Amino acid sequence: MSKQVKRFSKPVILAHWLNAFTFMLLYFTGLPLYSEWFDWVYVLFGGPENARFVHHYGGLVFILPTVFILLVDAKSFTHWMKQIFSWKAHDFAFFKGFAKEFFGLHADIPKQDFYNAGEKINSLLQVFTAFLLIVSGLLMWFADFFTTTLGFSQSIILLAYPMHSIAFGLSVAVVVGHVYLSIGHPNSRPSMQGILKGYISEDYAKAHHGKWYDEEVKDNLKM
Amino acid sequence: MEKMIKFVDVTLCDGCRGCMVACKNWNDLPIEIEEFHGVQSHANVTANTWNVITYTEVERKDGGLDWLFRHASCLHCKEASCEKVCSEDAISHSKYDTVVVDEDKCVGCGYCVEYCPFDVIQLKTLKDGLVEKRKAYKCTMCIDRLDQGLQPACATACHAGSIVYGNKEELLAKAETRLQDVKDRFPNANIYNPKGVGGTNTVYLLADKPSVYGLPESPKVPTSAVVWKDYAQPLGKALLGVTTMAVVGAAISNAINNKGDGGHGHE
Amino acid sequence: MGGNPAENHPISFKYLLKAKQNGGKIVSVDPRFTRSSSQADVYAPLRSGTDIAFLGGMINYAIQNDMIHKDYVVSYTNASFIVEDTFSYEDGLFSGYDAEKRKYDQKQWKYKTDAEGKTVVDKTLQNPRCVYQLMKKHFERYTVEKVCEVTGTPQDKYIEVAKTFCATADPKKAGTIMYAMGTTQHTVGTQNVRSFAILQLLLGNIGVPGGGVQALRGESNVQGSTDFGLLFGNLTGYIEVPQAVAEQASLEKFLGVVTPKLGYWVNKPKFLVSFLKAMYGKSATKDNEFGFQFLPKIDPKDYSHIALFENMYAGNLDGAFLWGTNPVVGGPNALVEKQALGKLKWMVAVDLWETESSSFWQKEAGSNPEDIQTEVFFLPACSSYEKEGTVSNSGRWMQYRWQAIKPKGDSKADLEIVHMLARRLKEAYKGSTKPEDKPFQAMTWEFGEHDHPDIDLVAKEINGYDTVTGKLVAKFPDLKDDGTTSSGNWIYCGFYPEEGKNLSQRRDNKDTGMSNFLNWSFSWPVNRRILYNRASCDPSGKPYNEKNAIIWWDESAKAWGGYDVPDFNKLLAPSDEGGATAFMMTGTTKGNLFAPRNEGPFPEHYEPFESPVQNAFSSQQINPAIKIWDGDHNPRGNSEKFPIVATTYRMSEHWQSGAMTRNTPWLAELVPHMLIEISEELAKDKGIKDKDKVKISSARGEIEAYAVVTKRFKPYTILGKTVHQIGMIWHFGYKGIVTGASANNLTPHIGDANTNIPEYKAFLCDVRRA
Repeated sequence: MSKQVKRFSKPVILAHWLNAFTFMLLYFTGLPLYSEWFDWVYVLFGGPENARFVHHYGGLVFILPTVFILLVDAKSFTHWMKQIFSWKAHDFAFFKGFAKEFFGLHADIPKQDFYNAGEKINSLLQVFTAFLLIVSGLLMWFADFFTTTLGFSQSIILLAYPMHSIAFGLSVAVVVGHVYLSIGHPNSRPSMQGILKGYISEDYAKAHHGKWYDEEVKDNLKM
Repeated sequence: MEKMIKFVDVTLCDGCRGCMVACKNWNDLPIEIEEFHGVQSHANVTANTWNVITYTEVERKDGGLDWLFRHASCLHCKEASCEKVCSEDAISHSKYDTVVVDEDKCVGCGYCVEYCPFDVIQLKTLKDGLVEKRKAYKCTMCIDRLDQGLQPACATACHAGSIVYGNKEELLAKAETRLQDVKDRFPNANIYNPKGVGGTNTVYLLADKPSVYGLPESPKVPTSAVVWKDYAQPLGKALLGVTTMAVVGAAISNAINNKGDGGHGHE
Repeated sequence: MGGNPAENHPISFKYLLKAKQNGGKIVSVDPRFTRSSSQADVYAPLRSGTDIAFLGGMINYAIQNDMIHKDYVVSYTNASFIVEDTFSYEDGLFSGYDAEKRKYDQKQWKYKTDAEGKTVVDKTLQNPRCVYQLMKKHFERYTVEKVCEVTGTPQDKYIEVAKTFCATADPKKAGTIMYAMGTTQHTVGTQNVRSFAILQLLLGNIGVPGGGVQALRGESNVQGSTDFGLLFGNLTGYIEVPQAVAEQASLEKFLGVVTPKLGYWVNKPKFLVSFLKAMYGKSATKDNEFGFQFLPKIDPKDYSHIALFENMYAGNLDGAFLWGTNPVVGGPNALVEKQALGKLKWMVAVDLWETESSSFWQKEAGSNPEDIQTEVFFLPACSSYEKEGTVSNSGRWMQYRWQAIKPKGDSKADLEIVHMLARRLKEAYKGSTKPEDKPFQAMTWEFGEHDHPDIDLVAKEINGYDTVTGKLVAKFPDLKDDGTTSSGNWIYCGFYPEEGKNLSQRRDNKDTGMSNFLNWSFSWPVNRRILYNRASCDPSGKPYNEKNAIIWWDESAKAWGGYDVPDFNKLLAPSDEGGATAFMMTGTTKGNLFAPRNEGPFPEHYEPFESPVQNAFSSQQINPAIKIWDGDHNPRGNSEKFPIVATTYRMSEHWQSGAMTRNTPWLAELVPHMLIEISEELAKDKGIKDKDKVKISSARGEIEAYAVVTKRFKPYTILGKTVHQIGMIWHFGYKGIVTGASANNLTPHIGDANTNIPEYKAFLCDVRRA
């Protein structure tokens, strides 16, 4: 057993899982509107009205983790934000090897940050689509308020529909990859420990987040 | 099958509202006592009031007055936005070229309500706490009467001959003749059968510009509906398929190529 | 004019719309721009209560511009009759006026007669004492300028109306006037209608297809009810009710008074005796004047609506039946009428719903039940669809209706209720020896021995029997005055000419020519569809308008032919004696341009009882012959305190006092709130915005309503000053699915000089924001 390296704080873990849970809930309750193949979901929820109820109020809960993390652990949040917007050569080089590795072939991948480039792109897409989903969702839910009280034009409300739809498709595609890599792919599976317990093995840190390991973890471990 | 349309010649309407009562009577719709709107009874059509006579006062250039009435109800677009955006395939075209909502399929998402260019489809909402049971309703052109070889209830009730239901060719020709007849009295008169929605199964002869009656001058299927339903959604579905395929492919490929030892750690 | 068919008689309007599509013109004259006006080719506003000024001007316009049908006027009207020198007119008064009694001596308005008793005529119409010249002089004062100053109509609109309508003087054209309560509900209501008649006679529009003066009845069977003697002065078929005066003490004397010397009414004795035989059967014999003494006589008092309620209010009435009537909402000065009901000992209300009147004693009516001693009975009646019988429309078609559904609960048809009551009363009076109970004992009531009457027997009694053979009478010319025939209502005689042939049940909708449907139902008299249709032909029997000929004299067949039943003997040649007369029922056999009524033989403009201006035509402010109902309960408003003219009306969506429509959900939702309509100008003056709640007050009361601020009412310029008018619906009360204030809390107890119909259509009020 190699040494354990601290990766995520408790609030981050909580926020991540609350986010993940509500996302899945919204995903399922929204699915039948996306495609009639999934109308059986309505049955699970006891009718479209209940699914709609869950989807609406679940949507509000979906906003919560961001608020929560900002209140409780703003440092982690800003760190995350800084990271995902920082793109250097080693980040771009990541993808060349990633495709190979994804399908189980050997690849040489440059050393990565706290968040590797894959995680960065995942985060960026999630943030972006979540923002679109929330804004368009509110526009659709409270259309009357926006048009009659705030004087929005109906065309803006109508824009919300394709926006919600596009963001939905995109976010789900990203999530599918994200979930697979965390629980399905043999190489990245151990990262799961980080978001469950907050720690990962030193070996894993060294292998997957080499740059971070070199710059921050290694020295700390030696001390 | 003979092509049929409903032709509403508003220049013959005397605003008696018999069509409203006939509609409620045939479709067994409950009453809705609204707040005071003046002579007009309901601000707009609702899920329980499928047609409303609108009353508009317009001062003419010569100092005279026009009091314009319009039987406002679903126009039954050929290219129906409501049908396009329906999440459940609950809205469809009947064999009478009319647009009908399948009550059993409707889940009350309300997409159609937002997308209708004429604001004629509405939700009926039953509140149970915060849970809202909803379904969309609108004029059915009395499809159950058409099935029996009868006219829509409004057309049957209209004593003025303002609402008629019949052969498409004949009525469109009649509309042209009537337009010529009333041009002197109503210089802005026009036939309202908007191309932007592929034409409608209810064709109006209006005495004034559509906007005077609260109708869009050139309605069309909203671009956002096209973007959404014709591009975004199929693309999204494809994307979902691609990612899923990729994941499945990766799982298989990993099973073959990767010994599953936790990755690079053991280079 | 005076009617709003699009809103209140929509089915009639259907035919106007058709006429319009065939090139006809619709003219709408109304204080407010209505749904009818919206379809009109010409619309002209007028201030409420100025119809005679408006029409007088049109009569003058027609005469001055020679837009009259001369041949028609000479041949068929009394234009040529010479009037006695005792007749005169000056400053709003005709000769013979007694200011104290507010009454005229009509003997001063007679025609001049020659030695043989025949009326002197001047067919050239040049004699200054002939009706035509007197009329011309009378209306000369009604110039366009003067008229428009009084009515407030823009002159150009007025001239357009006059030109358009008077164009129908052309024999090839026809024009009709459709009127309703906007014409009649005035202190000059009768003369308003007379003005129509004069105008139409001058234009030759009576008795021709597409012509006439059409009374749009306020209810589907008003025609039937007046035909059957609903009005207090009439027996069935418009025979007068005998009065308790010495001159009418016997059948012979009575008939002497009421039977004219000319025209078809000379047969009145036959009709009355047949009526008495229907009433009293075997008890009506030659020896007892056919039961004439059994008939109740009225003392020459007024039994009209206002008079009854004034008497009720004064405590002179013990009991009342309110049979499908709702005076607490529909009566004038309704607050007083509600109080009057509380002075009765008993009251029976027969209605479909518990109306405001049947519940006048309840707390929600604003009454204290403890203070009211009236014993109130409510008998639930069933609706027209739950019973069978006939309804007569404005065109006098008696149409049979069959029962569609069974009555709800214990509700019963009116006929059943009367029948049950009559049978029980007859039973109660059976053994009586009192003379006053004799009439009831003598009355026949043979409609079956069950609580449900045999309607077929009622129908047959209306038609009449040959009392010797027991067979049905085929037509009213067969009626006799010797007691060998009976007929419950002579004008309907012939609708059931033989067993199994009830013609009111006919439903053959085939056009039998000129849009007549002679085999559809039965039209009195003798299935004639156009009254006085003889006037559609010139004296020689040739149609004035060949294209729209309805009847004509066929020389080869020596008979009248055509698409209608000719209005006289079918074989009477134009050259025969009386063969060229067209108006058989008017007493003169002519269309009467000059026709004595209580306030004169010619219409003259008087202001309404409450008016914002002085009468510009004479120093007589109001109709000199109307009865003034004094008393603190009926105050008269003045224009300083109440400067705004108000009128009441109906909307398509509600019916009368709203008892039926405010209780019918689908109708109630269409107009769920009490509303008034006011002009944008007045609204601005008063700081009222559209849809605001407002208070409207008159000398009688105050009500609250919503305001519709509209372009459809415009202020008038009357005699140089601005006069505002508002309008309000009178459908609301405190019972039903939708409720609201009653407009009639504002209206006065004042009526027409002849009929006493209340002046609902013009009174004064003020309005402010609530």
